[in-house]
Amino acid sequence: MAEYSAADFAPLKVQSHSQTLSRPSLSYWQDAWIRLKANRRALTSLYLVIGLLVFTLLGPLIWRVNPASQDLDQISAPPGRDRGALVVPEYTPWEGPTTQATELQLAAPPTSQAVRLQWAPLPNAHGHRVYRNLYPVGPERAFGIPLAEFFDNSTLYFEDRLDLRPGRYYYSVVALNDNGRPTTEAQTITVDVRRATSISDAIKQGIIPVDAEVEVGDVLQVALHPLGTDYLGRDMLARLMAGARVSLFIGIFAPFLYVLFGVVYGSVAGFLGGKIDQLMMRFADFVVALPFLLFMILFKIAFGIGPGESGVFPMLVAMILLLWPASARLVRGQILQIREQGYVEASKLLGAKSTYLIFRHMLPNTLGVVLVTLTFEIPRAIFTEAFLSFIGMGVAPPTPSWGSMSNEGIKTMLNTPHELIFPALMISITVLAFNLLGDGLRDALDARMRNTE
Amino acid sequence: MSEMAHKAESSVPLLVVENLHVEFDTYGGTVQAVRGVSFSIEAGKTLAIVGESGCGKSVTVQSMMGLIPMPPGRITAGSARLKGNEILGRHIIKGRDIRGSQIGMIFQDPMTSLNPTMTIGDQIAEPLQIHRGYSHAKAFKEAINLLSMSKIPEAAKRARQYPFEFSGGMLQRAMIAMAIACKPSILIADEPTTALDVTIQAQILDLLQDLQKETGMAVILITHDLGVVARMADDVAVMYAGKIVEQGSVDDIFYRSAHPYTLGLKLAMPTNDPAKQHKLNPIEGSPPDLFSPPPGCGYCPRCPYAMEICDRQQSDLIALSGHHASRCWLHHPEVTQRPEDLTYAEGQR
Amino acid sequence: MTHLIEAIELTRYFNIGRHQRVHAVEKVSLAIAEKEILGLVGESGSGKSTFGKTVVGLHDKTSGQVKLRGETLPQHYRPADFQRYASRMQMIFQDPYSSLNPRMTIGEIVGEGLRLHSSLDDKQVKDRVAEWLVKVGLQAGHMSRYPHEFSGGQRQRIGIARALILEPDFVVCDEPISALDVSVQAQVINLLGELQSTMGLTLLFIAHDLSMVRYVSDRMAVMYLGSIVEVGKADDVYFTPKHPYTEILIGSNPEPDPELERSRPSTAISGEIPSPVNVPAGCRFANRCPKVMPVCRDVTPELLPLKDLDRQVACHLYT
Repeated sequence: MAEYSAADFAPLKVQSHSQTLSRPSLSYWQDAWIRLKANRRALTSLYLVIGLLVFTLLGPLIWRVNPASQDLDQISAPPGRDRGALVVPEYTPWEGPTTQATELQLAAPPTSQAVRLQWAPLPNAHGHRVYRNLYPVGPERAFGIPLAEFFDNSTLYFEDRLDLRPGRYYYSVVALNDNGRPTTEAQTITVDVRRATSISDAIKQGIIPVDAEVEVGDVLQVALHPLGTDYLGRDMLARLMAGARVSLFIGIFAPFLYVLFGVVYGSVAGFLGGKIDQLMMRFADFVVALPFLLFMILFKIAFGIGPGESGVFPMLVAMILLLWPASARLVRGQILQIREQGYVEASKLLGAKSTYLIFRHMLPNTLGVVLVTLTFEIPRAIFTEAFLSFIGMGVAPPTPSWGSMSNEGIKTMLNTPHELIFPALMISITVLAFNLLGDGLRDALDARMRNTE
Repeated sequence: MSEMAHKAESSVPLLVVENLHVEFDTYGGTVQAVRGVSFSIEAGKTLAIVGESGCGKSVTVQSMMGLIPMPPGRITAGSARLKGNEILGRHIIKGRDIRGSQIGMIFQDPMTSLNPTMTIGDQIAEPLQIHRGYSHAKAFKEAINLLSMSKIPEAAKRARQYPFEFSGGMLQRAMIAMAIACKPSILIADEPTTALDVTIQAQILDLLQDLQKETGMAVILITHDLGVVARMADDVAVMYAGKIVEQGSVDDIFYRSAHPYTLGLKLAMPTNDPAKQHKLNPIEGSPPDLFSPPPGCGYCPRCPYAMEICDRQQSDLIALSGHHASRCWLHHPEVTQRPEDLTYAEGQR
Repeated sequence: MTHLIEAIELTRYFNIGRHQRVHAVEKVSLAIAEKEILGLVGESGSGKSTFGKTVVGLHDKTSGQVKLRGETLPQHYRPADFQRYASRMQMIFQDPYSSLNPRMTIGEIVGEGLRLHSSLDDKQVKDRVAEWLVKVGLQAGHMSRYPHEFSGGQRQRIGIARALILEPDFVVCDEPISALDVSVQAQVINLLGELQSTMGLTLLFIAHDLSMVRYVSDRMAVMYLGSIVEVGKADDVYFTPKHPYTEILIGSNPEPDPELERSRPSTAISGEIPSPVNVPAGCRFANRCPKVMPVCRDVTPELLPLKDLDRQVACHLYT
């Protein structure tokens, strides 16, 4: 047992009992912000959202490529594809081979400017037909697309200039019988086409300046497309940025408007109560029952989208007219709850007018809920727009939108998947980021609303 | 002394809790909710644990029953032995969950403690099916029996009804029926009547006493209402800021208060004895922050008799007489000046 | 003796569903004298809170009147009516957690009444708010803080400051201490008592804690299922109740005195509190009353004064 002195048991100095508060004052928003920051997932999604906005708004200023301009040298080029282009002389039509061929062979190095083929007459041939295929010719003898037909053996050469792209082609020559029908005699060669450009084309495309010292045989680098190009040769990155503008514009602007309308509608209904409230809510139910897709189409037709119009406006209108009831109901519920709270009654008793009660007491306490709703409506609207554009009911080409880009990408999904992956990825990341942000916001704001002590 | 010896031979404690420490991780830090609580209870007796909000009384029993999610809660020390078997952190003894079978529990708000989508009868039958392996039919029949034991009229009809068809008082009876279904040796009642009207409270308290007489079970009653304590308890433990500050028989606590907090509580309540009228004496200030509990006595800032040592160091529980003990330096043998209101051990005046 | 507040056959029903009505307050006549504290007790369904809110205008009156110093108050209050009476009648609310707007600072909350009413400028309002915060035991510096930073007891003090800053004559205290701890209840009760005597307030103190009501009030009224069953001096009603319900109510109230509790006979009554929706004919307490007589089931007893006693009871035992 420890030793204690008399001093230990002397009366303690009197302490003040006034009501003190130790922790620093925090407003509702400050406290919510601290909670949000502590939530790592929400913070990550916040950064993502900010990143997306930067991408959309500042991106085009940094990556100044016209999303509509077509780089015909690189159609459907995946990112990272070789960009070298051989400088060749200006194109002049081929007169014919200079030497005799013994079999199907190239008469000159194959470039994207032209592929020149020559062959020797096939056994029992009264004529020949030239085919080209992207895929190897197998035992089923699928030769590909027919390029030319010759009904006598006088012409044993052919120059192919049809839509040549850098890559591998399989050319075949098939013998024709005296009736002009293909026989079983055929020869096939594999041709690797190299990208080529003439000096004048290069200057026209802007690859080299006018006074550049370039000679035939040099290798130039054609335009850089970090994310590749689409089926029309348009830069994917620029298109994604432009599409972001459209998607985010609709995705943020429309929800703002219809949530705002819903808030006003819901507060009025909740505050007035009684029969008016019932009537207003029944009308809201009616609007919910309207088929969204049908109305979208109707609006599109009604607005008569002509060529060159983007189709953004009718989509915006349709969304605003049809999607407000959810937030109206939510706010109405909140208002009904808040109306019964002590502080509203106290304020009434102090002589507050209705408008004061709504704007000073009720609405500020619904802001948390409204903010969270908004953050969830944004990804919903983005996805709706993407979906509609995907099925062709949204913005009209050439206005880019992630949805329509995905639609185009689906068509070449097996050959050039990058055309589908990039826009789809953008949609997914954006929707996920906003959803996670909404979750985090709700947690941060809800806790306050629960009045923990 | 002979009284104590008599007590020792006839009463083997059913439940012994020693030095229980429980803490919680929260958004603002770690809260030391229970800071060394020890008590015991014998069959057929009622122990009341009294205290205000935040003192840790609910957390104490809930942690014993494994009802505190761990994390964010944590039992950092202590033991609780039911009939010799340790139950802290292990509510399953010899393969059987003791909750519901050996220890029953009823809660404060009956409206939220019962499942609104199950009939009352099914809910009462549940513990019998789980712990005793009864078939549903057998258990349901027993449930009706238990409902009438709880003095619910038309028990058979009521057993088929849902909670929303019951009033608050009846729901509490149903909960009691559920808690005693497996004939537990201990019933824990956590603020069972706080949400009820005073006449209904009287009914429920009567019911608890009757059931206790019939079954001989021990009752641990958590409450903040000193009137309820006076009515129901044999023994009392007063909690403040996570510790027991005074314990003893109910007469000890009320008539021989030995801790300034107990005294303060009594003076802060109006008495209805016409002879003992006094002006309400509130306890100024508020309980300490349990995020960083003070090294000394938690009550020190509010205590009119505080001494230097109270601020620095917490006293141990000092035994006064019989089971009466108080955690207050005023009872230390070296204290010479004592306030008149507090009681002291025999021979120490 | 002038009555400050007089309720005359005040009735308040709520419509629920199409054909059902809650008879929350049924023909209650009650008079409160100047500077008096009248305690109103009852259990759930008694209608005491509804009565308080109806007197103050937060509920419309289904029938009956309330008079303030002889002036009849409106049956339905419009904002202009609230403004008119705000400086004469106020209310302190029950739940300290929902009676303060979590998005406003304390200064804004307490000063709201002044800002809505008086022509004081901003600085004057601030000064007044600071003065009142100190009066209720807080600090002037707390003005810029938010409700969630305060404990329950502190919030009730803020509610008191808010109600009293307009210096009303009459204040309805609707269960002001029910949500607080015992030691804090005493703080708030003492504060209310002090302010009442310094300001000469008249209080209607509504609560279910019988001991506290008896301690605080001059007179006490007991309500059961919408009607008053007994009124009289607080101590008298508590120690010598006349109505059977009052007897049982007080008998059920546990005293913090073990010997007293042990020696008391059990007075628990049977049955549940009926719902105020389908109100039986006759005396509303008839089906649970231990002293029921045949007449009780047919004829509703009136609240009548007893001979030689300052007491009113609504019971056939005394007619």
